[in-house]
Amino acid sequence: MPLDYKRFNGPEDSVSYKRFTADYLKSYDELHSELIDETGHRKDGRAMDEARPMYVRGNFVSQAKGSSYIEMRGTKVVCSVFDPREIVHQNEFSTVGLLFCEVKFAPFACKRQRQSHVPDSEEKALSVALRKAVGPTVCCQLFANFQIDIFVYIIESDGSCLAAAITAAGLALANAAVPMFDVVTASSVAIIGDKIFIDPTEDEEHLAMISPDTNTNHGVITMARLNGLMQIADFRQIGSLDIECILKVTDILEQECQKVFPKIQKTLVGYVKNGIMEQKRLSEEGKAREAKLKDKMLEWRSSIVNNSV
Amino acid sequence: MNENDINMTGHVSIRLASERVNHCVASSNDTPRFYTPGEVISGMQDFMRGHGTYVEDNCLKSSVAGVMQKVNKLICVRPLKSRYVGEIGDVVVGRVLEVQQRRWKVETNSRLDSILQLSSVNLPGGELRRRSAEDEQTMRKHLKEGDLISAEVQSVFADGSLSLHTRSLKYGKLSQGVLVKVFPSLIRRRKNHFHNLPCGVSVIIGNNGFIWLSPRLEEATIDENPDETKNNELQPVDSIDRETLARLKNCIAALVASKMMLDDSSIMFAYEESLKYEDVKELLDPEAMLDVAFMTQHRLNNLMDE
Amino acid sequence: MAGILLSHTEKVYITHGVKNEYRSDGRSNIDYRPMELETDVVSHASGSARLRLANTDILVGVKTEIDVPKPDKPGLGKIEFFVDCSANATPEFEGRGGEQLANSISNIMLRAYQSAQAFNLKQLCIFEGKQCWKLYIDILILECGGNLCDAVSLAVKAALFNTRIPFVKAALMDGGNVDLQLSDDPFDSKWLDVGSAPLLVTLCRIGEKCVVDPTAEEESCSLVSLIVGVTGNPKYYNDYEDEEELPAFEAKCSVISMHGPGSVSPQNLRDAINQGIIAAVCLDEALGKTLFRERRDTEQFKRHSYGFLK
Repeated sequence: MPLDYKRFNGPEDSVSYKRFTADYLKSYDELHSELIDETGHRKDGRAMDEARPMYVRGNFVSQAKGSSYIEMRGTKVVCSVFDPREIVHQNEFSTVGLLFCEVKFAPFACKRQRQSHVPDSEEKALSVALRKAVGPTVCCQLFANFQIDIFVYIIESDGSCLAAAITAAGLALANAAVPMFDVVTASSVAIIGDKIFIDPTEDEEHLAMISPDTNTNHGVITMARLNGLMQIADFRQIGSLDIECILKVTDILEQECQKVFPKIQKTLVGYVKNGIMEQKRLSEEGKAREAKLKDKMLEWRSSIVNNSV
Repeated sequence: MNENDINMTGHVSIRLASERVNHCVASSNDTPRFYTPGEVISGMQDFMRGHGTYVEDNCLKSSVAGVMQKVNKLICVRPLKSRYVGEIGDVVVGRVLEVQQRRWKVETNSRLDSILQLSSVNLPGGELRRRSAEDEQTMRKHLKEGDLISAEVQSVFADGSLSLHTRSLKYGKLSQGVLVKVFPSLIRRRKNHFHNLPCGVSVIIGNNGFIWLSPRLEEATIDENPDETKNNELQPVDSIDRETLARLKNCIAALVASKMMLDDSSIMFAYEESLKYEDVKELLDPEAMLDVAFMTQHRLNNLMDE
Repeated sequence: MAGILLSHTEKVYITHGVKNEYRSDGRSNIDYRPMELETDVVSHASGSARLRLANTDILVGVKTEIDVPKPDKPGLGKIEFFVDCSANATPEFEGRGGEQLANSISNIMLRAYQSAQAFNLKQLCIFEGKQCWKLYIDILILECGGNLCDAVSLAVKAALFNTRIPFVKAALMDGGNVDLQLSDDPFDSKWLDVGSAPLLVTLCRIGEKCVVDPTAEEESCSLVSLIVGVTGNPKYYNDYEDEEELPAFEAKCSVISMHGPGSVSPQNLRDAINQGIIAAVCLDEALGKTLFRERRDTEQFKRHSYGFLK
């Protein structure tokens, strides 16, 4: 890997000190039994089928054409979308526009290790997935030979990063007034054995990726959905799952995506409303100013007339 | 997908390299003399220089690897794999690459892209008239990028690129069907390259190695109004025609794998021989391909002997 | 990869064909074209295979090296995939042209092999926490005629089946360092256990249905494709004395991913995953039988090596 000598690159083989804490040395079974308490609730007090509360806002980055911020407890994601620009270094004319997506982790985003500033394979894979998920919804034929840049920055990661990134990108695109067919939302689940964790945290995701010694199901699935068109824009699975489980999870994910949808709609409608109010206010203010000016003019004129007399 | 398909199993065949089939069906042992690039063909000056040859130091030399062909005093060397070298009057099948000013650029498997002038097509309506500016603007309506056409070579430009024309009812835009691409050198030159095969399929064997297979059109549909033909164009092809087209496509692939010359009779023989394989996809197996090619060769030989 | 140019009516013909489950060369929607396979074609690799599927030609070589295991996975070996899209395949791959495709293939292979139920990395462990085998799987795309992912996964599984790992005769602890002693005899080695290694199936959505093993023409009719990775059945790759005693096998998905600019309806997605599993099970059985036949021929010294001749 090429090193960037302009930055301080710590010793390559450094490891997180957390590796030596008692928490880290727990066996698979210990970790597994810790995930759920006796009442059937997860570590953070949620029920199995309960997603984390989600905070959504747009207009987060004032310099960007459109932007958004999503927070789901420990997962915090910023997305910004910039004006379409002509594709550089391209020989052939393309009749459809391109989307350029980049997902980046903050160096301190992850619990387990420090993220290097050089894009690693996970970030590249996330970028590809993001592009696949938002691709079907953007009216690309309107941007012949142009590209739209979408940047996602994961400030803090506590599971379901891709789902948050896709939802954020969908909102930022709409916020940037890019023509779209539909609103895209995403959701993810982790599966360990017969248990399905909706909107998993980092710990749950991590454990779902480790394969147990037995032949049980384990894995993570993320789905992006176009809610109005009832189409699936992206579907990504990893792990080892049997077919019944996948089909069951597909239904659950569809419902979860649907649940996020009104939130995004509401936020967007809110911005449009605010925009209209603002316009109204501005035009009223303008009118008031004009009226004042007119009065002043009349006053001035009459004073000239008076003086001359 | 319905219930039946879930129970169906796919057809997969993986063979070892050591079980590879040799597709050679040449019956006679008289292999022709091969020439390699730079090899002297003849030192004498009373020959004419044809394709695949050049003159250096008063010698006629080959510029490609292939077999020599002599027509009176004209000497050509023909390679197996070559781009198509057009001749006036050839029937070709081509694909429109680009719509340009008053002309279309057409891919015909020759060294350079061919040209179809706006003035060498029959415009809808059929009457002969001057091409107006309006025609120029609606060129894309007539033929757009990706469309397949059958055409005749009208003339050959100095640089070797071809000028095509479609000024006959039999030429023009092609509708639904299958395009098979083969080496141009495998096409046997005939008087007629449009055939209505007895199996209910019409085939255009382009001299450029593009073979177009399509279901035979009913005569009645031709002189209806253009809107209706447009609809007809997009109607699904029925399953019997579809099977015949697939069978013919695989037969041509079998003949090409054995490097056999293609014309209407060899294609038809191969088709008849292939009928013993009930399922068309069996013809994708190399043994079946060899068998079809071998039987076709056998029948062609018998035909020659008579 | 840029698709080839097709006219509208040709696309209509292909789409109707897929709808009728009868494609333009007579195959149904879950049929593959015939393939050709040879293993042990590269002499300097621990294992290798070459696979031809119509015009697609894949060469895979496996190199084994010794590495230190990751601190958080002391008992596991390592596996890495590299894909090289040679400009021999198509001029589009020249320079950095094939990089994106190569990355996406190696990424999906890595994800498919990640679960222990797909490929058990424990068999690559030499000395827990100290030394392990690392498999470098180099995939070379010699010719590119569509359906790359499926061909790559088949060739990789064949190459792993062909891979031998030398026995470690002794391991001495010497002041915290491990000293390994390996045998000089190349036949003093074990085969890898690859029975459960996953195969990828690409399903191209054309119209309302999906097809496996699309031709280049069919690929250009499709806006979206689904790649399903399905674990293999060890039964076909091992010489079990008594087949009845084996535990019941169930094919599992080890990876699913979507490609292309389109989207699918939920019903389409479910059907496609089902269809992919059916196709993968068939592929797995055919591959296992072929590989076993070749190994038997090799053991009886009947095998003729063809390599790149002919």
